[in-house]
Amino acid sequence: MGRIVGIDLGTTNSLVAYIDAQTGQPKCIPGPSGSTLCPSIVSLDPDGSIIVGEPARRRLLTQPERTIYSVKRLMGRGPSDVQSELKLFPFRIDPSSNHVIRVRLGEKVFTPPEISSFILRELKNWAEAFFGEIVDRAVITVPAYFNDAQRQATKDAGKLAGLEVLRLVNEPTAAALAYGLHEKQRGKVAVYDLGGGTFDISVLKLISTSEGDIYQVLSTNGDTHLGGDDIDNLLQAFVHEQILQTDAIDFSPHGELAQELRKELIALKHKLSETESATLRFPLPNGKIFVHEFTRGAFEALIRPVVDRTTAPVKQALADAQLKPTEMDEAVLVGGATRTPLIRRTVQEYFDRKPHTELNPDEVVALGAAVQANILDRGVQNMLLLDVTPLSLGIETYGGAVAKIIPRNSTIPASAQELYTTGVDNQTGIDIHVLQGERELAKDCRSLARFTLRVPPAPAGLPRVEVKFLIDANGILQVGAKDIRSGEQHMIEVQPSYGLNDNDIERMLEESIEYAEQDFAERQVIEARTEADSILKATEKALAHPNSANLSAPERAKIEVSVAGLKEAVQGSDYKLMRRQIDELNRATEHLAELLMNSAVQSALEGKKLAEV
Amino acid sequence: MGTHFCSSCGKVLQVPEHSDYFAMFELPRKLWIEMSALEQKFLQLSWKLHPDNFVNSTGAERDISLKRSSELNDAYRTLRDPVARVEYLLAIEGARKEGQNKQQAPSELLEEVFELNESLDELREARASGSDTVGLRSRLQAAERNFERKLTEVDGELQGAAREWDKLIDEKADETPRNAAKGKLNELLNRRSYIRNLVVNVQKELL
Repeated sequence: MGRIVGIDLGTTNSLVAYIDAQTGQPKCIPGPSGSTLCPSIVSLDPDGSIIVGEPARRRLLTQPERTIYSVKRLMGRGPSDVQSELKLFPFRIDPSSNHVIRVRLGEKVFTPPEISSFILRELKNWAEAFFGEIVDRAVITVPAYFNDAQRQATKDAGKLAGLEVLRLVNEPTAAALAYGLHEKQRGKVAVYDLGGGTFDISVLKLISTSEGDIYQVLSTNGDTHLGGDDIDNLLQAFVHEQILQTDAIDFSPHGELAQELRKELIALKHKLSETESATLRFPLPNGKIFVHEFTRGAFEALIRPVVDRTTAPVKQALADAQLKPTEMDEAVLVGGATRTPLIRRTVQEYFDRKPHTELNPDEVVALGAAVQANILDRGVQNMLLLDVTPLSLGIETYGGAVAKIIPRNSTIPASAQELYTTGVDNQTGIDIHVLQGERELAKDCRSLARFTLRVPPAPAGLPRVEVKFLIDANGILQVGAKDIRSGEQHMIEVQPSYGLNDNDIERMLEESIEYAEQDFAERQVIEARTEADSILKATEKALAHPNSANLSAPERAKIEVSVAGLKEAVQGSDYKLMRRQIDELNRATEHLAELLMNSAVQSALEGKKLAEV
Repeated sequence: MGTHFCSSCGKVLQVPEHSDYFAMFELPRKLWIEMSALEQKFLQLSWKLHPDNFVNSTGAERDISLKRSSELNDAYRTLRDPVARVEYLLAIEGARKEGQNKQQAPSELLEEVFELNESLDELREARASGSDTVGLRSRLQAAERNFERKLTEVDGELQGAAREWDKLIDEKADETPRNAAKGKLNELLNRRSYIRNLVVNVQKELL
């Protein structure tokens, strides 16, 4: 098994971090240039190779039609969702887009998860060069307010980059983990995270128990399309308007000139965080130079709308946690945009306390991801994260209304069961539409999936199917169904409304050969072998537990046969056989797993400490 | 909820699996719950059951952890909320019956609900025709306060009925008084949800 890392896959910049074995502290890994920031920019070279990061940024000016930035804004979204973005961002959405957006770079089209996977692969390469070892597993952060489709798209990107995504962690929660390790904070903490393209507010409770520290998220809210990008857009629109009036030059947002101006404006914005005024000097195509002096006051008046848009989510998150601003013990600022003095002042006034900014706001999320990666790698030791789902899960009922079955801010994993039957005789299918959001009508919520439950023909009302909706620890939906009469259980293949299905991913994995260092089949063998190794180890450990004595002799024999079968399969190179043997061993150890879990529950209820299961 | 039988051996599990949310926390089926003790147990069980513990375990262990920790979270969410707790108790006691017609007002509220709906109609009409809504709005605000007060009253009655239920459990009372208590709780829940819907609807119009 290779190394594990924490990755912040950001709108503007991405970073990779690990836990330093000597100090136990998280650290970001620098790339070839020495910087830990990898600009989230991807360019397709005319020779077919993919260029990521700083070199790609330079191509924004020279080859804008082959280069893309802020692709995170497109993750998990459909073509109709992004119409408003197209006015502001130079995305070239290909007409072949259906439920998944396809973006054109030069002569090729890519989905947003593929483009994100190029960024992840770059960071994987940074980490492998740094360690001199393979990196094959990662914790990746996502905005807390990301919906199911956006999370799934991020997980798909990890898979396409050759990473096993052990967990998606919410960005503000990751930041709280990094700060907690750094400062040993306690009590109620508000994390205000304004990144390049997303805004999150999370309210957490940090609890010390005899077993260790618990980071319990009480509520979260946000806006997945609000960030530093929007400040840049306001500045750009303002200057475009000025230039249109003084020099009658109309900028196309897609052109090189606009990209050049944007670059200058971002530098100006950074300068205005340090100084009281800054001057823009921008050469125009007509030979003149556009000059405009921005005072900080004028700048703040201009960007005020962006800051104001963060107010409602902050209020909602506190209301959901049933807390007043003054009841918070700490406030933490995360994300590059929180360097803006106006934002610092606003947060300070609202919570009536000086927010924490000790950790680098660009790095803190990646550092937290590394902390969580370490926890998962070693099994929970003395830190536990309890996160929530940001949006209510609902199902469509009569008349297009939505019945909420898992409310927002429920601790995850969370589940809900619904019982379905038929309305007419010999009906063979029951249609189910799953949604996410707070609105009352299905059309105003986010469609996650539609599927049909198949039932054998019977008189109306006789079939009974129990559907279990489960949101896992990544905030991703799983659906299972059980026929109550036959007891037959099956997982439902849910076709996502927006996103890649398994076939898409399979095909992309195969297509990605030209960007990958390994052959597809070879990679499958390595992955299956890695999984087999870890499952064999886990089985051995489970069999050594005292409670395994309660297994019957035939059960134990079955496990031993499965173990032997898997060990033999691992010797060969048939990855499909390995997968089958892994499944068989998993089935054989079901009862063993129940025995161990019951022993864990019993010990927790008795309140005594016992050896790790 | 989980089965009482082991999925592969068919035998009753040695450590009985929790059959309901109260049992999961080793609590009697009573409606008064000490919150800090509930939280303590929730955190203790979370340490043991959370999927973060099982990343390097067998697939079967990962599946069970996911199932058990989601049930734990569902249970905590339900028991923490006093109204959801009553609803859940009635459901597992087989005594939860929602109102025949959710739109139908409890008889003692008929007159006030009629007036309220009239005011709401007038407000919508006034808004559509662009005429002055100030008077109507203040009338609706008064009505909203009135129904908020009734909501508080129902909550008080619900608490009383819950205490009554707990007493019957303590006294190991027989089925007749217990069924009566459940019927009372059920009726109060229906009244509460009716009034709550009214308040929410008025608030929406007043926004």
